[in-house]
Amino acid sequence: MEADETLMVAVAAGDGAALAELCRRWEQPLFRLLARQTGGRDVDDLHQETWLRVVRAAGRFTRGRPFRPWLFQIAINCCRDWARRRRVDPLEQTAELQTEPAAGGTARIDAALDAERLLAALPPAQREAVVLRYYHDLPEDEVAEILDCPRGTVKSRLHQAIARLVSVVRGGGKAVPARGARV
Amino acid sequence: MIGCEDIDELRAFGRPLDAEAEAHVRACARCRELSPALGAVSAALAASSAPGVPAGLTARVMAAAGPLLAANAARATRWRLARALAAGLAPLPAILVLDFWLVRAGYDLLTRFLPDALSLYVVANWVGFLALLLGLTYGAIPFLAARQGPALHPRSA
Repeated sequence: MEADETLMVAVAAGDGAALAELCRRWEQPLFRLLARQTGGRDVDDLHQETWLRVVRAAGRFTRGRPFRPWLFQIAINCCRDWARRRRVDPLEQTAELQTEPAAGGTARIDAALDAERLLAALPPAQREAVVLRYYHDLPEDEVAEILDCPRGTVKSRLHQAIARLVSVVRGGGKAVPARGARV
Repeated sequence: MIGCEDIDELRAFGRPLDAEAEAHVRACARCRELSPALGAVSAALAASSAPGVPAGLTARVMAAAGPLLAANAARATRWRLARALAAGLAPLPAILVLDFWLVRAGYDLLTRFLPDALSLYVVANWVGFLALLLGLTYGAIPFLAARQGPALHPRSA
């Protein structure tokens, strides 16, 4: 089986069979990444747009560079452009979640929550970090490469995201306590 | 040394805690207090089913990518041609100098045994033959570069 990077060189030379093979290999992870980033909206179109950008940029693909972070970086950029076009404001959804009554405690909220609503409560940058780190189980270094930021920023976004998720789970009424002393 | 936020991440993402982290949670009031909420976050994230991939996605991509792939192929062909021409033209001055030297040496040699006019005729034929060979060689470069094609690996489309 040829490596993704080899297939990309062939795509840069106009080889359709190489593109079809890459599509088949990466269809599921890419589709899931896009679906989680957009809450399941316009995923088919974004999936196609991502691959079209891959073909357009194939000539700039550097030999020796791993394919996955490159592909996911393009996908994340597609999602960002999509959000700008739609002017999606996840904060509106967050506000909606946070104004829900917290009566019944965590257990009751737990039953009502699902991952999609939780992710929608996060700002895009934090959601990207959570989706890549948790659902795709990527190492922090690779997440940092995809998001084009330092590793420390990824850690910081993850911590902020978790604090926000905890706040949402609690119904938004109680802030997460400040970080305690390191043990 | 593990901190509260690192442990929050492990618990929210449902990762196992090592002994040091477990000891931290037992000793830290903040981490104990957050346990139910982090458990709820972890459960909600884990309960998310993977979005189903609709059929025909790859076919749709391939249909839309046709013109872009054709543009890539044309660009790659131009690039191959440019490289082939550059590689072919680089030694051309040396070839011409060598040919000139051989033709001149040949003419000098021939004039020792043959009349000048006949020597000139023979050398002119030789020059014509060399020019024909050079023309055929350089004329074949674009043809061969185009025929080399993008298929680096045999694969059915």
